[in-house]
Amino acid sequence: MRPTLLQGHERALTQIKYNRDGDIIFSTAKDQHICAWFAHNGERLGTYHGHQGALWTVDVDPTSTIIASGAADNTVRLWDIRSGKCLKVWDFNTAVKRVEFNEDGTQLLAVTEKRMGFLGTIVVLDINLDVEAEQSDEKAMTITCEDAKATVAGWSYMSKYIIAGHEDGTISQYDAKTGEQLDNTQVHEVDTVITDLQWSSDRTYFITAGKDKTAKLVNARDLEVMKTYVADTPLNSASITPKKDFVILGGGQAAMDVTTTSTRQGKFEARFYHKIFEEEIGRVRGHFGPLNTVAVDPTGKGYASGGEDGYVRVHQFDKAYFDFTYEVERQAKAQGQM
Amino acid sequence: MSKVANRPDWADDEDLDDSVVDNALPEPTKVTNKDGTITKTSWKINDEGKKVKLTQRIRITTHKEVVNPRVAERKSWSKFGLSAKDAPGPATDTTSVGENIIFRPSTNWRKDAKEEKTEAGSMKDKLKDKKVKCRICNGEHFTARCPFKDTMAPVGEEGSADVAAGPADVADAAGGLGTGKSSYVPPHLRNGAAGGGDRMGGGKFERSDESTLRVTNVSEMAEEQELRDMFERFGRVTRVFLAKDRETGLAKGFAFISFQERTDAAKACEKMDGYGFKHLILRVEFAKKAN
Repeated sequence: MRPTLLQGHERALTQIKYNRDGDIIFSTAKDQHICAWFAHNGERLGTYHGHQGALWTVDVDPTSTIIASGAADNTVRLWDIRSGKCLKVWDFNTAVKRVEFNEDGTQLLAVTEKRMGFLGTIVVLDINLDVEAEQSDEKAMTITCEDAKATVAGWSYMSKYIIAGHEDGTISQYDAKTGEQLDNTQVHEVDTVITDLQWSSDRTYFITAGKDKTAKLVNARDLEVMKTYVADTPLNSASITPKKDFVILGGGQAAMDVTTTSTRQGKFEARFYHKIFEEEIGRVRGHFGPLNTVAVDPTGKGYASGGEDGYVRVHQFDKAYFDFTYEVERQAKAQGQM
Repeated sequence: MSKVANRPDWADDEDLDDSVVDNALPEPTKVTNKDGTITKTSWKINDEGKKVKLTQRIRITTHKEVVNPRVAERKSWSKFGLSAKDAPGPATDTTSVGENIIFRPSTNWRKDAKEEKTEAGSMKDKLKDKKVKCRICNGEHFTARCPFKDTMAPVGEEGSADVAAGPADVADAAGGLGTGKSSYVPPHLRNGAAGGGDRMGGGKFERSDESTLRVTNVSEMAEEQELRDMFERFGRVTRVFLAKDRETGLAKGFAFISFQERTDAAKACEKMDGYGFKHLILRVEFAKKAN
């Protein structure tokens, strides 16, 4: 496969998101704009300007009309995808590290940083998915994380729970209606940051990536760890592939240690693991720095990775990827047909 | 800006026309070549204020895909932000195509990677058991560190013989440097160096060369991946090289396939010679004739 290289950012990438149809990619980096790209040929649709600080996160609503972004200038902004216009700005006390729309795009959650005496919070905002409509200033709900700040968060199936990953390696389950904490489980090693949380396509389970060099597949209902993927480097991102039962992990040595290592030793590769057998099945190299984010096309045709090197690499899987099956899978299929 | 600075350097570009004022750029041209490719020529002024001619040679292949109407509608959206002035299609300054990456998921991925690693580490392993031997007193230290280095001459006359070459080589080091008699012997033919040369150039390359097949009469439309798929049936393929025309991207008609095992290569050679592939009959032979 021949990756497409997207050079729209001058600094390290922070997050990549595909829209639901898998035709547009949104990327954010520590420079101050968001880029939108067509996934099939890497053409840039446009850029969104207005943030005054490093952008940490972006998410797109399910109908692909609005995107939300969070940045180090303590704001969450809504943008019209088509025109690039900023629709709404919400101000917070601290930087916003993660935003995510719920399944139907009616609500948005934002994870804020713990800093300057303010505790880390998860804020829920009501969204009107109309470009013309006025968005409300009110914050629908605020969850305060008293012990350890949340680093990542997301909505479960039917917007029933809010799941948050914390800096101490635990995962919390909150009721999405009341904000009450229902569960808190130590999933990753104690005091290792959870760096990413991405959902399966039906949002019943999710994958977390941790600095403890593992990624875990966790059930959203009871926070049970179903699978563990062990890597040899701290992980920054993890994603579940639709169509095929794989997961993609991205990581690498911390940015500050990178200059002392060669690209080979730095382990700047996207790692593919089999979702069920927890076994590593291949790697894709290409980045010059650690991978900060990986995102999978919801249609299962490809994936994109963004690195500390400022590049986005978009890959379209080729036949070998779709053909790959385990011996037991082939046998099971053969028996099923008989 | 002075007049001198404004004038382009004569060495910069032969296509520069002195009589044309800087801001008047020639019209872009588009020529269709005989082989179906299109040559596009355009001019622009770069950051340094110099005029640059950009020649692109393009082959257009139509690839049809049925997409959701929503997706199709989005493709027609006009660009905005930093891309507002970009022409339709990917802009060269933000989008480029990376080198081809072979990604084939496999259960024994770890094993394959390990093999690669041991190949590199083999030299270290080989030398691990080697003891350091002084050429002066045969003690276990480097010659330079020998306590007798100022007072004693090296053992025997064969100072040039490699320590690692062992005593057998020392005995018939007649070809070595400085033994007189014969005329100049190039370093790679000298006795002492022979062993070293083998170790350096041999090993990996030697072996892979022996298990490399040359495939000729390959169709223009062939792809490396197709060849790999065809030949992988016979064993693990370590390398596929398909010669391609740099400009048109079409295959030139020959390819090299390296196998990990020579036996697999032999099998493939036998089976694939005369195999019909894309309306042509393949000719397969060993790239290097067995001695």
